Amino acid sequence: MKLIASWLRELTDVRLPVADLASLLSMRGFEVASLDPVPEGPLAPRPPTRAGGDDANDAVIDFEITANRPDCLSVAGLAREAATACRVPLRLPWDEAGRPISSVRAVSAPTPTRVVADGLEVTIEDADLCPRYAAAVVEVTIGPSPEWLANRLTAAGVRPINNIVDVTNYVLLEMGHPMHAFDLERLAGRQLRARRARAGERLCTLDGEDRALEPDMLVIADGSVPQAVAGVMGGAHSEVWPGTRLIALESAYFTPASVRRTSKRLGLKTEASSRFERGTDINAPVVALERACALIEQIGAGRRVGAVIDVYPSPRGPIDVTLRRQRIAQLLGTTVDDAEVLAILTGLGFDVAETADGWSVRVPTMRVDIVREADLIEEVARHHGYDRIPSHFPALHATAPRPDPRMARKTLLRHRLTSSGFSEAVSYTFVDEADAAPFVAGDRALVPLAYPLSEKFAVLRPSLLPGLLESVAHNRRREHRDVRLFEIGACFSTAGGEQHLVAFAWTGACVPEHWSGGLRLVDFFDAKGVVERIGEALNLPLVFTDLTNGYLVAGRAAAVSVGKTAIGVLGQLAPGQSEARGLAAGDEIYVAELDLDALDRLAPTADTRAESLPRFPSIVRDISIVVEEGLRSERLRATIRGVAPQTLIQIREFDRYKGQGIPEGRYSLSLRLTFRSPDRTLTDADVQEAMERVMEALTREHQAVQR
Amino acid sequence: MPDAEEIERLRLEFQAALAAAATDQALRAVRDRFLGRKGGVIASLMKAVAGASPADRPLLGTLANQFKNEIEGALDDRRASLESGRPVAGGLDVTLPGRQVPIGHLHPLTQVRQQVEAIFSRMGYEILEGPEIEDDYHNFEALNMPPEHPARDMQDTFFLGQPVPQRGLGTPGTRVSTRPAPPDRPATLLRTHTSAMQIRYMEAHEPPVRIVAIGKVFRRDNPDLTHTPMFHQFEGLLVDERVTFADLKGTLTAFVREIFAPDIRVMFRPSFFPYTEPSAEMFIGCVFCGGSGCPVCKRTGWLEILGSGMVHPSVLEAVGYDTERYTGFAFGTGIERVAMLKYGVDDIRLFYENDLRFLEQFSF
Ligand SMILES: [Zn+2]
Repeated sequence: MKLIASWLRELTDVRLPVADLASLLSMRGFEVASLDPVPEGPLAPRPPTRAGGDDANDAVIDFEITANRPDCLSVAGLAREAATACRVPLRLPWDEAGRPISSVRAVSAPTPTRVVADGLEVTIEDADLCPRYAAAVVEVTIGPSPEWLANRLTAAGVRPINNIVDVTNYVLLEMGHPMHAFDLERLAGRQLRARRARAGERLCTLDGEDRALEPDMLVIADGSVPQAVAGVMGGAHSEVWPGTRLIALESAYFTPASVRRTSKRLGLKTEASSRFERGTDINAPVVALERACALIEQIGAGRRVGAVIDVYPSPRGPIDVTLRRQRIAQLLGTTVDDAEVLAILTGLGFDVAETADGWSVRVPTMRVDIVREADLIEEVARHHGYDRIPSHFPALHATAPRPDPRMARKTLLRHRLTSSGFSEAVSYTFVDEADAAPFVAGDRALVPLAYPLSEKFAVLRPSLLPGLLESVAHNRRREHRDVRLFEIGACFSTAGGEQHLVAFAWTGACVPEHWSGGLRLVDFFDAKGVVERIGEALNLPLVFTDLTNGYLVAGRAAAVSVGKTAIGVLGQLAPGQSEARGLAAGDEIYVAELDLDALDRLAPTADTRAESLPRFPSIVRDISIVVEEGLRSERLRATIRGVAPQTLIQIREFDRYKGQGIPEGRYSLSLRLTFRSPDRTLTDADVQEAMERVMEALTREHQAVQR
Repeated sequence: MPDAEEIERLRLEFQAALAAAATDQALRAVRDRFLGRKGGVIASLMKAVAGASPADRPLLGTLANQFKNEIEGALDDRRASLESGRPVAGGLDVTLPGRQVPIGHLHPLTQVRQQVEAIFSRMGYEILEGPEIEDDYHNFEALNMPPEHPARDMQDTFFLGQPVPQRGLGTPGTRVSTRPAPPDRPATLLRTHTSAMQIRYMEAHEPPVRIVAIGKVFRRDNPDLTHTPMFHQFEGLLVDERVTFADLKGTLTAFVREIFAPDIRVMFRPSFFPYTEPSAEMFIGCVFCGGSGCPVCKRTGWLEILGSGMVHPSVLEAVGYDTERYTGFAFGTGIERVAMLKYGVDDIRLFYENDLRFLEQFSF
């Protein structure tokens, strides 16, 4: 809302410099977007009468009006706020006779929804969308507006068109009430009917667009076709043009939700629609008509014929809201003097009557935002000043419950992953459908957005990997050869809903390049080590088995589980996936993704129990065997465990070798076995016997040959 | 015959010789002179002590041994200090970079988030996350935004192409639920604010309520310098007996002083949110210009940091609270906003590019 300061001063005696006026209103909830000088040329019908250079002290202040205050989308509304803040009276041109708005008399109707007078017939067919429709017939001579009027509109951001349209816009800016002028001679049957659009009806609006109307849109039709989209925009056919001699001037109240819906559906936002959809004053239409007709006469553009037609089947009055003195203190934490409360509320246009414990407050219909006590307390607080309310700290009446262990677990994983060299990524929750598709698990389906911003953001991510890979590619394009990223976040599927996952991607060096040499690139077992570390952190024994899936390299991929519960995957990204993101197919990228929800369900919650430290020495034995190539290390371990005594406390593979000296199709594996007893010192003989049993079992079950 | 005086004289002689020895070679000469097996000062002394009278022998023996130890210690110390000044064979170029175990960096949004969580945890708040997909009731209606409410425009929404089940949401938080669980409603949208979580919590618990809901939220904004269609928010809620606007001011002032600077200036200004009444916007003195005015604060000296207000009675009614007995306040802001001001980040999109050159600037 662009406010011309001098226009505001016409309505109230607020004589502050413009900068102070701006900050005064800003501290009452009207944010200042900009403050600019007024354009050249006269801005008022008469030069300002006061000495002291009001002209020099003028400005256009652009206020951002919050959605709850449509009454302040007007000079009058902001003037009322300023007058209340400065405790000076408000002088509205339409109140000059000292007549309250609600008492304006209207022509009584023969039937509640139809009036015929002065050659115009007005009918409300759909009163749920149009509770009030007032109109007047005016003889006009179309021409340009006087300079001051055109200048005011221009300064306020409205383009001058002709004297009649300009007057309706002037009243819109001054009072906040939108109006529309029809060329009466172009209305079939000289009728105006507020009704829902009929199926198939169209309207060419003032902006030249031919628009399809839908049956729940309210239109203003003549005897046969729509002539305006009610509250949004008029039609081109009945538009006021230089030859117009007679107009029907509309001043109505439309149901906010209906205007909002229609404006959204048509993608058409206007000065009028933005006011109607927030709620205009249902008791303003006749006042606005009178103000407009007075202005038309004042600038010599025409004169009204006959009376004002007012179709208002169920008049609405102001509401009364109780305000308790005690409640103000209870909500604000400070007391406000009765006199101040009274001054604030009467200044804002409320009728206030004292009661035993406070006030009964009559709320004018322009204040669509005030319906209950808390709303009035906000009015008091706004004008009392938030800065005058003290700062205090609330009493604590209960201890906080213990923290959510799931969040503590995420923190722990973040620590483990950063200390493993991974930086944390945060990616968009929505991704490209083509990027997401390969990562949809088995029977699941992608969740699409209804109206995505773009193809790039079309579906909710089924996995963290598409986002991570996008980030890997981003870094590779920027000369970052070694990339380690992880992410913790929610993923979605139609069947599973929301699911929390942790994932990482790793490409490039295993350890950063150093002048001492020894650069080694990441491989499967580096990545696996990170997954193992996650298992360790959560105290969960992880099991790895061979996996074939669409986006990992077969033979370099593992399914990760805890017992029988599958919790994720690990492996080398298929080269096709890398290429799809502009990465070189030859660059190995290792990824893993684990289901945090499943880990949460499985992770033990009991505290760690400390074990006493060993009291007896351990004995270590190495064994080197040659076995069949496909044999999994895990099976060898199982065999060893199966025959070794309880005193075998650790098995560690320390060398694996293929090639010279080893027969084709076989490999050599060296294992280090550690033995220790909790209650005595083991002898060589004990261990020797165990080793013999181990070797015998390995030979029997896996045809292992000792080297 | 030697006596204590004689030993004292030899000690002074040794100290002078030691002080004069500035090289290995000189030091060796001093050692030979005093500790030499044949003709060394100590060897002669010991021999003389052996010949002393039986009455004098024990005392002289002790003194001589002490003296000998002293000399050995002093010679070792001096040799060590001479050696330490000289590189060993194969000395290193200590100016070459060290070998570091690679360490990752927490995302700056996580770092801010952890600070926010720590501050409010200490004030007795429970920290909650909550679902990112929501139903219309929890995201709008229960928050005093019925269908067609103009405030819905402030938060243009992403709707899902199809409803998605919200199974097993359970009771938010770790506090034991005191009320029957409301029916599960399928999710139809991406939450536009974390306030939805406040409703879920109040549905399950009687006051007092002290929670901070934190996480991702979504609005239909095309990415630019200050907007992204996804961002992170935290929102606090306190409902109890006798909670006032003054408590709101005190709590938020304490928060910004801890997260920004202990002497930061604050200002509260009226605003509008459908779920609070009265509503307030909180401003802090511009962290870039200190209040003198700069392009970031649009020359006002103030930066908007938090939206807040007293919980609207309609919201308390929606969850069945007695609005006469209980009042409350709520507040919230974007984590990106805090991070941008705190770290001087001028493009919000940087938070989602995951460029390591950006992430590695934040030291965690
Ligand atoms: Zn600044």
